[in-house]
Amino acid sequence: MVNSEWLTGMTRGSAGNVDSRRWQASILPPLLVFVVVLAVWELGVRIFQPPTFLLPAPSEISRTFFANFTELWTYGFNTFREAVAGFALGCGLGILVAIVVARSEVLSSVLLPFAVASNSVPIVAMAPLAIVWFGIDEGSKIAIVAVMCFFPTMVSMVRGLRTPSPAQVSLMRSYAANEWQIFRKLRWPAAMPFLFNAFKICATLSMIGAIVAEFFGGSVKFLGVYIKTEANILRTQNAWAAIIVACILGLSFYFAIVLLERKLMPWFTEEN
Amino acid sequence: MSHIIEFDQVWKIFGAGESETIALQNVDLTVETGEFVSIIGPSGCGKSTLLRLIADLLPPSKGDIRVNGKTPRQARLDRDYGMVFQAPTLYEWRTVLKNVELPLEVMRSAREDKRGRAVKMLDLVGLSDFQNHYPRQLSGGMQQRVSIARALVFEPTLILMDEPFGALDEFTRERLNLELLDIWAETHKTVIFVTHSISEAVFLSSRVVVMTPRPGKIARIIDIDLSYPRNFETRESDRFFELVTEVRETLKEEFTRGEIDD
Repeated sequence: MVNSEWLTGMTRGSAGNVDSRRWQASILPPLLVFVVVLAVWELGVRIFQPPTFLLPAPSEISRTFFANFTELWTYGFNTFREAVAGFALGCGLGILVAIVVARSEVLSSVLLPFAVASNSVPIVAMAPLAIVWFGIDEGSKIAIVAVMCFFPTMVSMVRGLRTPSPAQVSLMRSYAANEWQIFRKLRWPAAMPFLFNAFKICATLSMIGAIVAEFFGGSVKFLGVYIKTEANILRTQNAWAAIIVACILGLSFYFAIVLLERKLMPWFTEEN
Repeated sequence: MSHIIEFDQVWKIFGAGESETIALQNVDLTVETGEFVSIIGPSGCGKSTLLRLIADLLPPSKGDIRVNGKTPRQARLDRDYGMVFQAPTLYEWRTVLKNVELPLEVMRSAREDKRGRAVKMLDLVGLSDFQNHYPRQLSGGMQQRVSIARALVFEPTLILMDEPFGALDEFTRERLNLELLDIWAETHKTVIFVTHSISEAVFLSSRVVVMTPRPGKIARIIDIDLSYPRNFETRESDRFFELVTEVRETLKEEFTRGEIDD
């Protein structure tokens, strides 16, 4: 009954080609810069020949990286496990608290300023205290990471759960939807972009948090302790190799979340 | 014909004391089943408030409202009406099809039934080819069509529309006016349509309720005696012009009276 011909061609384009070109455009320049920096570094070290402990050449670092491969990756995954555990704990609690807080106007307005302010508190500075409370092993590191992840997750999630417009909520009311349905079908999906933003921040924070917390002590089979020890005895090429492992793990964590985001939210694009 | 909506001396007052605003003053209104009634008036005259009272999204301050012979609350719980807002109010994480299925999901309809009914409604509004698109991929007019399909999908007896085409350009609006009349003829719903466009109100309605500026009262109810089905020619007929003028004169009278009162 309704003629739809006049509609065709009115939808905004979705092009795979443009996508891959944009991908190339965003990947190529930084890659090029990376290669140039490495080349200059290598060349500089060969020309000026500083002592190895001051600045080892990239070639020296990569030699060490492969020579100590198993060792480095074992330590890397030990630290990574702390980071992921802290992430899960901190983000999980952040989500739960946010669900409670977002329900109340008063709670949100009282608690949010504190949560936002906590962004500027150097939480790793509490690592020595965490060791007193949770012991020298993984416990204290996981606790620090969890605290670091808790606040950004909670703040984003409260904002996300409160983004639906009054009309979007009225719509649910007009269907005589119950509170659970309004949460499940409106507030929760509306909060997803906010949650994933927090996840991306926390993925980076958690690796940093775990390594820095380890600087304050612990078993040598962890990346932070290893970096500190090796640097202390001036075997800096080992420390550098460990830093590379930390970078790879941190980036992988981050990109795993980006992938998950794209998978779960095909409707969401950067333009939103 | 039976009364689907009855307003008996209904008042709506917002705020209290100094900041008290009378949005609706002593409104009496009866709508029969199957009618297409437009409510028109200057902005701030309480026409959207009136719609929200029917929808039980706001409680009245005084007076009695009946929807399908029930309290508005009971009517809402019984899912007696479908609502179309000024903005399409689609859920951007759902595809077009999933948006139309939303009310059925909330109302716990059977799965296959759900899909079938949503597809049928999208067909009715001419969007069969866009089932798997996301709202942001559609134009404003198409989004509003989806929201109309969503309001119809659970087959409520009453459709409440709050300036649904207000944000659209003139061409799209006139097009959607025609489609809406087709849908109305096909589904036999009662439609309450809030608008601030005089020609839209006259073109669509069997009756036009003209409201006064704040405090909102019903100034006059004008019967629109143009025969259905209406089409593009209707807009060019002499009778259409007369009725548009009549509505405009009533609005003008009330407007100047309001200014003198102030």
